Amino acid sequence: MLTKIPAVATSLLSMSAPPRTAIAFIRSAASGFDRHRHHRLRSASSTTRRLDDARRANATMDFSSSRDRSIYWNREDGTSSSSVDGPSSSFRHEGPIVKEARILALCDPNDVNNEPLYAGTLPEGCTLLGVGSSLADFVREGDGSISGRHPNVIFVSHPRPRETLLEILDEYPSVEWVHTRSAGVDHVMSDGLSNSHVRLTNAKGMFSSTLAEYCMMACSYFAKDLPRLMRQKANGEWTPYPITELRGTTLGIVGYGDIGKACAKLAKAYGMAVLGLRRTAQSSSSLSSSSLSSSSSSSSADAYCDRVYHGTDGMHEMLSRSDYVLVSAPLTEMTRGLIDGEALSKCKPSAVIINVGRGPIIDEIALVEALTNRTIRGAGLDVTTVEPLPRDSPLWKLDNVLLSPHNMDMTRTFMRESTEFFVNENLPRFVRGKTLLNPVDKSVGY
Amino acid sequence: MTPRALRCMLRCDAARRLGDPSSRRFYFPSPASSKKAWDPSLRDYKYWNREESKHGEASYVLDMSPESVQREARILCLAASDDVANDPLTKPPSGSLPFGSRLLSVGTQPTDFPDSLIGERPNVLFVSPSCPHARLQLPLVVHKFPTIEWIHVRSAGIDFLESDELPGVAKRGIVITNAKGQFSSSLAEYAMMACSYFAKNVPRLLRQKGSRSWDDFDIEELRGKTMGIVGYGDIGRATAKLASVYGMRVVALRRNPGKSEHDPVCDEVYGTGRANLQKLMSVSDYVVCSAPSTVETRGMVDAAAFGASKRNQVFINLGRGPVVDEDALVSSLRDGTLSGAALDVFATEPLPADHELWGMDNVLISPHNMDKTSTFMHEATEFFVRENLPRFILGDGLLNPVDASLGY
Repeated sequence: MLTKIPAVATSLLSMSAPPRTAIAFIRSAASGFDRHRHHRLRSASSTTRRLDDARRANATMDFSSSRDRSIYWNREDGTSSSSVDGPSSSFRHEGPIVKEARILALCDPNDVNNEPLYAGTLPEGCTLLGVGSSLADFVREGDGSISGRHPNVIFVSHPRPRETLLEILDEYPSVEWVHTRSAGVDHVMSDGLSNSHVRLTNAKGMFSSTLAEYCMMACSYFAKDLPRLMRQKANGEWTPYPITELRGTTLGIVGYGDIGKACAKLAKAYGMAVLGLRRTAQSSSSLSSSSLSSSSSSSSADAYCDRVYHGTDGMHEMLSRSDYVLVSAPLTEMTRGLIDGEALSKCKPSAVIINVGRGPIIDEIALVEALTNRTIRGAGLDVTTVEPLPRDSPLWKLDNVLLSPHNMDMTRTFMRESTEFFVNENLPRFVRGKTLLNPVDKSVGY
Repeated sequence: MTPRALRCMLRCDAARRLGDPSSRRFYFPSPASSKKAWDPSLRDYKYWNREESKHGEASYVLDMSPESVQREARILCLAASDDVANDPLTKPPSGSLPFGSRLLSVGTQPTDFPDSLIGERPNVLFVSPSCPHARLQLPLVVHKFPTIEWIHVRSAGIDFLESDELPGVAKRGIVITNAKGQFSSSLAEYAMMACSYFAKNVPRLLRQKGSRSWDDFDIEELRGKTMGIVGYGDIGRATAKLASVYGMRVVALRRNPGKSEHDPVCDEVYGTGRANLQKLMSVSDYVVCSAPSTVETRGMVDAAAFGASKRNQVFINLGRGPVVDEDALVSSLRDGTLSGAALDVFATEPLPADHELWGMDNVLISPHNMDKTSTFMHEATEFFVRENLPRFILGDGLLNPVDASLGY
């Protein structure tokens, strides 16, 4: 089982910049895609048993271990296309309320983005018991103590919630469901959480189109050689030079999920070819035979992606064919350090790497080397291994790097919209015992 | 029979049949009858788009059935002799031009073309912007060779040919065509990049990078914003296509608004005139100016237009500098009426080194190169050689007709 990773790996996971020896270990673990698939298959039965137990214990929580894609939210569609429960916008308020939602918010009480939760009208059956950033904030003496009221939902919008969340789960075993305001859950995941019975949902799909806009801008930034344009402007120099088009080039997406699809949609409109890298072959059941195949590529995932790759060999092949590489994967044990020196060496010398996933997915030392030696053309980094980026990082002074402070999805309203999603979409579903949107598969970490 | 004799026979055959309209054969649907995917109201759409249009149809037919030659093409090329972008014409890769065509001479003024050529009756003139003082030379060349029926301009913009004599040239029945649609998609890419450049506040990113400061700030989305396109031609349409996939609302301004009524990528279309332009400026978060420079459009986007601009508007000019009143533009940037501008074209090019635009942080300046791929001019010549020249030889309608009196 993935959860039985040796202690050394667990401690490595909590490090922000794993040293080289650790990278070798993680890489060997990550490169064994087949091995992990087999691990999960072996453990699937025990997972199913656990879920069956959970199902029996709480008949209202329905969660399928096979990735039912219809229960993922996408902001542009405005709805989930849940085939289980019908169109979202009307149904979620239909049906009898079968239980209460008693909510703890692991948040900053002064965060105005959470106003829909703190001060807004909550859906019927929902109560906010308390807001705090540590267990101490929730533990109260005397009447009205929180434990007496059996909180069953935790809403998380905290920068480093991993340990605190475990403490809170320990303190209030009545909690069934944890929802994060962010799409990334790497800052929340832990063995304790994976082993627990709580259901985890997140904000997948909330920010994808904004990041897709950034992705196309980053591609264009290098295609039109904006670094050169900036240099010329600084010198007041008028020198026409040839530019390249995006049309006809290839975008390779590492981690073809919701963000990847949003980028692919735009890339296709530009006339680019799109390749995607996924953990498994997507099908109606994750246990289908296609996930066992050792081939490194399969037929197209959807209308926007021309070809899907799997595994390390697949990734190398995809990188060798890509003019622009988008990293939009979540940070998990499998993806940490995934884009290493070897992967970078497979890239075209004209390749541009864009990272909107998580910094640690790319080996930053190898990346800096590749950028300095121009073995790749450039990089657009919205995320880095350490954030804020330390002042002495060589990335600051590299001309062929577009840096942004992890804000390329940060619109004025995006966090508020994410809280609204929790309040307006998932809370009504919870109290009516319906399938929650955006489930996170704790066994794989996203 | 030798190939040469065969060709001779076929040519005579073709010449004989020239006088017989009923024997004109059309092996492929004429551009007049093929409906464009998104402008169904435009019945006889004779315009070329590099992405949408079928390639090489006409030359394919010519290769297959040389006997369908209706007329020969005897070509003069008005261009600098060292202009390598004209190689597909002057040094064709296959060794010869399409069947039924010949290149007679290359020059930059009438005296470069020997008088003996007059007897050869050249009927096609290919003009490239590399010819110095083209606006003076063109009417002179046409005067020297009155047998010219067709002038093809290698570029999309024909303002470099503008002169008092040009409408007169057209009145003599000479058809003028250009390279409309050749460069549209690369300019559309630039337009979207320019919008995103300001939406994601790249100027601030670059400043922060310079000072190594990690300061996260809110950014804007393009989704849900309005893009206003001034001059809704091929470039405008290509830009609208991308903008609509981004989820932007598109409003457009064109001389013939009726033609875009059913355009699926354009939400609202206005006609020309000051009131309409100001209306567009007042609703648009991003304005893309892609209009050609003509007598009508010169100085069109003036202080009054900027005065009507929506708050924090971004202005993008990828058409022609003279369409915009540059002084009004600069003051609008200075006083904050516009939050930024992306300019690929200017009233004077090269932009003078002391121009104040250079020093403005919220202006993206590019040296009129945002459509300059390494092959784009070759492709423009290839368009002439592979698309329009065969059509001329087959007697079919030419693509991309230009209205000389309108200037585009």
